This record gives sequence, structure tokens and C-alpha cells, in this order.
Amino acid sequence: MDASNKWERVSMDAADAERIYRKSRTFFGDVWYRFRHKPTSLLGLILVVVLLLFSCVGPFFTPYSYSEQNTKLANIPPVMTVYPGPEEGVYFYVTQALKVIEVDENGNLIRQLKKDKDDAKAKRTSFKYADGVKVYLDYSAQPNVMCDADGNRIEQGITKWNNTYLLGTDQLGRDILTRLMYGTRISLMVAFIAALVNMVIGIFYGGIAGYMGGRVDSVMMRIVDIIATIPLTLYVILIKMCLSDGMLSIIIALSSVYWVDMARVVRGEMLSLKNQEFVLAARTIGSSTRTILTKHLIPNALGPILVTVTMLIPSAIFMEAFMSFIGIGISPPMASLGTMCNDATEALRTNPYQLFLPALVICVIMFAFNFVGDGLRDALDPKLKK
Amino acid sequence: MGKYLVKRAIMMAVTLFMIALLTFSLMHIVPGGPFTSDKQVSQAVLDAMTKKYNLDDPLWKQFFDYIGGVLRFDFGPSYKYQGKTVNDFIVNGMPYTATLGMVTLVFVLLISIPMGIVAALKNGRWQDMVLMTVATFGVTIPSFVIATGLMYIFSYKLGWLPTYGVDSWKGYILPMIAMGGYSISFLARLMRSSLLEVMGQDYIRTARAKGISEFRVVWKHALRNALIPVITVLGPTIANLLTGSFVIEKIFAIPGIGGYFVNSVTQRDYTTIMGMTIFYAAILIAMIFIVDLFYCLIDPRIKYE
Repeated sequence: MDASNKWERVSMDAADAERIYRKSRTFFGDVWYRFRHKPTSLLGLILVVVLLLFSCVGPFFTPYSYSEQNTKLANIPPVMTVYPGPEEGVYFYVTQALKVIEVDENGNLIRQLKKDKDDAKAKRTSFKYADGVKVYLDYSAQPNVMCDADGNRIEQGITKWNNTYLLGTDQLGRDILTRLMYGTRISLMVAFIAALVNMVIGIFYGGIAGYMGGRVDSVMMRIVDIIATIPLTLYVILIKMCLSDGMLSIIIALSSVYWVDMARVVRGEMLSLKNQEFVLAARTIGSSTRTILTKHLIPNALGPILVTVTMLIPSAIFMEAFMSFIGIGISPPMASLGTMCNDATEALRTNPYQLFLPALVICVIMFAFNFVGDGLRDALDPKLKK
Repeated sequence: MGKYLVKRAIMMAVTLFMIALLTFSLMHIVPGGPFTSDKQVSQAVLDAMTKKYNLDDPLWKQFFDYIGGVLRFDFGPSYKYQGKTVNDFIVNGMPYTATLGMVTLVFVLLISIPMGIVAALKNGRWQDMVLMTVATFGVTIPSFVIATGLMYIFSYKLGWLPTYGVDSWKGYILPMIAMGGYSISFLARLMRSSLLEVMGQDYIRTARAKGISEFRVVWKHALRNALIPVITVLGPTIANLLTGSFVIEKIFAIPGIGGYFVNSVTQRDYTTIMGMTIFYAAILIAMIFIVDLFYCLIDPRIKYE
């Protein structure tokens, strides 16, 4: 085009006019497009996948089991302060129970040294390192440190990452990383199953109430209103107490009360959908109520249902952690994130990492599902279509 | 209005009855009697206890006796603590729980509403981003994690605040923050979205067109309308705060009823669990009712039928 003449007509052919600039997508293709173009929801989805891998595949790669105890190596943090030993590449770590553990250059825990003699007056304990070689632990002042060859306190320790137990051990000497994997698995499993059961109950309860309408609807919704005013936390606890210990009872307790929200959502959708033309058409050709509900109405209400389910998962995880935390959740030695937090509160002052690690995982799970839920809500909302 | 009140009162009574029935039946489904324990008790003692607490009556009679007691504010004796009644626990614990609940509620409102307003007025700017990020954290981190985290930082590391007890006002600070965390975030988000919606309304444009100051537009016209959804969720928020107090009271060793509840749950003290549940539920339902009544004071458009 000649730049000097700005008024020249832009040529346009017929094919160009017919061209569709916007890629045509199916509904779910559209939802997925909007979902992955929001950074937070994509991050949430990635976190969910990582958590699933961590909890399901992770246990195959760890040499420890969730219940294997090694009290000799209890309360060892992920980052240790070690003191150089008599030989090159040999370090010692002093536990809170005043035991000395040999650590190599890479942070692997080698063995626990045998105690030799305790000098209560000088507040020193000697340990046998090798034949005739002794090392001294000085506990006359805090922190307890090792002594060097001349018998002086080594005030400055070296920081080393724990290579044997990557995230340290708990108060019974169990590997925290392994327990986190199993704990995440339990939490996710409880949450997924509870959310699924809630979804099914809620869809059918709300679906029937909304589709039937009239008296059936008002009676069913009155019942929901009553259940909604009951403080659910209390009832989850009570129901849990009526059942035996174990994971199944937690799932039953969680899934027996949380379907109320879902029922309301589904009912609302039903009410707005059931008077639309496609339902009328289905009825005209003689479809049964069941077919209309399952084939026409529920698939159309899937968006809000999906959002409610993703929002149910974090609250189920939260409730499970809450119950385990007050001591009525998963029974030991099985790990759950809540029980791990609970176990760690007793020794919070000395071993804060034992609390912060499971707490961090809980937070990540909650973040991930909240992000995914928010993202889904936005993606499923056709008003936000750009 | 009168008719509405009566209708609501009947609903409340029905709900409470249902709760009592549900709780009572749940507690009787529990395997093992109330006196099942690790210790071996002789049959004579068991019989005497059963007789004493009228446990040999038919279930429906026990239930109506219990309801009769509840109506006279008598929740019966504790099965685990000799000579204690459930009323004792409630009377002892209530002052602490109520104080903590009130302080937390005031704290939540004082923080969350301004937070939401600022975020809405600075929509899309850095203030909004920062506040809403904080709010997301608050919604996602469980209260017991916040509580132990705060305790570690402020009590152990800095030594500013006590780790347990409520002997002085300082003892309330950490429980208050931990308990209010979720509600603050939730209300702030709600306040923000509701104010944003109101600010887009025509009457706000009209108010601006009149030439009144932006402060008056927000304060006089927008805020009043934007507060309505926030007030709607105040009832459930109070419920959240109260049930949230279980774990918080346990962590900070506050002698409130939440702590007693958790204890009775772990000790399987059935009458106490039952009494506490009904008491809690009654408070919550009453709170929701009061909040509903507040509506008509705030929003004259709402007419009760």
C-alpha cells in the first residue's frame, strides 16, 4: 500500500470475509483454554499433579516405611550442626539425648558411637570412636558440643544437610519424608472419596428436589435447611465416635454431612434448567424422568457441580487434619498430616521442623485445590469469555 | 414481622429438637455402654450405676427425661468425672469461651472490613494484590497451623507473649489471631467483591454526579449496601469462630468449653459430649437468628413475610 495515500481502500476478497478468525472449540476445549491461561489455576493443577506423584509414586523410591522406628536416630533435623572428628571427612552430630552420631562428608549418618565414660564433674562424656581413640562431648554449656583433639570445646559447628533422612526424623525415629508421602496419600484419599460420595448424594438429593418441585422440594429443602444450621464440625466428630477407628469411619463421617451444599447447588441448577426447551422436547418424545435427569439435566449442571466438588476437597482435607489433630482421626502408626502435626506440637520448642513440614504440605494441598477451584469457576463462567 | 418471628421461633425449636434427637441416638449407637472402660468393674457396680442414671428405662423415656432436663437447663451428670455435672463444665468454661469469641469477633470485623474496603477501592493495584494474597493465605492455612506457628514465633523465639493460659490480656492475642485468621480472610474477600459490585451501580454514578466527595460516596452510599452480604454470613462466621475454638483452646490451654468438649470426646464422656453439642448448637442457632433480625435494621428493603 502506498504510504502517502491513507485513504486508499483496503482490498478484501470474498474468502477473507468468510474466514473464521477465532478457533472453533468445543465447550470443554473452551473451558480448558480459559483454565490454562490463568497462571494461578495452572499452578494449582501442576501442584495437584505433583502432590499425587509425591504421595502415590514417592513411597516406591524411599527405603523406609511409615512405621519403621529407629529410636536411636530420633529427632534428627534435616539440617544438622556437626563437629569435625579426629579423621578427615568424619564429623559428629550430637543428638538432644546426648548421643553422638558419626556423619560422613556427604551428610550420611554412619553409626552411633558407643559411650565410654561420663565425667559428671567436668560435664564431659567420652565416646569410643575406634580402638584407643576417644572423642569427648562437652555439655557444660549450651549448646552441647564436641571437643577437638586438645580437649577444647568446638564452638563453631559446620552445617550439613541430612543425607540419610532428607527431611529428618520424628520423635520415634521415623523418616519424616516417608511419613509425609503416606500422610499426603491418606489425606488425599480421604478427601477424594468423601468428595465423591458427597457429590453423588448431593446430585441425587438436589436433583430430585429440584426436578420434582412443589411439596417434595419444599420438604426436602427444609430438611437441608435444618442440617445446614447444625454445626457440622460437631457432627463429624460425633459420627466418627460412633464408628470404629480407621479410615473408613472418617470417610463415612465426612460424607454423611457435607453433601448439603452440593444438594443446594444442584437444586438451583435444576430449577433453572428444567423449564428450558430441550427438557420439554425430551418429555415430548416420551423420555422417562430418569433419562431426563441423568442424560439431560445433570450433564448440563456439571459446571457448578465440578466447582463445588473441587471446593469440597480442601474442606474435607481440613476436617481430616482437624480430627486427627484433636486425636480422633487415623490411628497410629499410620501417618496422616493431622496426626503428624499433633505429634509434633509436644516438642515444638526443640523440633519445630516436625510441625512445619506437615503443616507446609497441608497448606500446599489447600492452595492447590483452592486455585484449581477458583480457576474452574472462572473458566466455566461463560460471561468471562473473551 | 410478628408472623415471621413466630415462624422462625418454631423452626428454631424444631431444629433444636432434631439436634437433640440426632445427638441422643448417635450417642446410643456407640458400641459399648457409657461405663465401658479399661478397668474391670464388677457387675453389681454396673447395675447400681445403671439404676442410678435410669439407664434401664426404655429409650424413649430416657430421651424425654433428657429433653425435660435440657429444657430446665440441666444437662445431667458427667459419666467420667465423679460428682461433676455437665452444667459445671459449661458454667466454668463459658466465660473464657465467650470472652475469646467476642474479642475475636470484634478483631475480625475491625480488620476484615477495612481490608475489603481498601482492596475494593484500590482494585487491581498493588494494595489490592497484597491484601488479597494475604486473604488467600488466611483461607488456606488451617487454624491449628497458624496457632502453633504463631506460638513458635512469638512465644518461643521472641518471648513476647505467653504460650498458654489467659491470666492477662496478653494471653488472648495469639488465640484471637489464630481463630480469626480464616474469618478475616473470608470476610475481607466478601467485602471486596460486594463493594466492587455496589460501586458499579447506577446510584453511585448519580451520587458522584451530584458532586459530593468520594469519601461520602463510599461512606454514605456504597458501604451501607455493600455491608449486607457481610452481615448475612456473620451468623455462620460466629459458628465458625465458636467451633474453631475447640482446637485453639486445646493448643493454648484455655479453660473454655471447647477444651472440655475435646477432652470429653477423647475420654468418651457421653453425657458431656451430648450436653455440649446441644448447648453449642443452641448458641449457634440463636446467633444466626439474631443476625437475621439485624437485617431489617440495616436494610429497610428486606421485608419479612
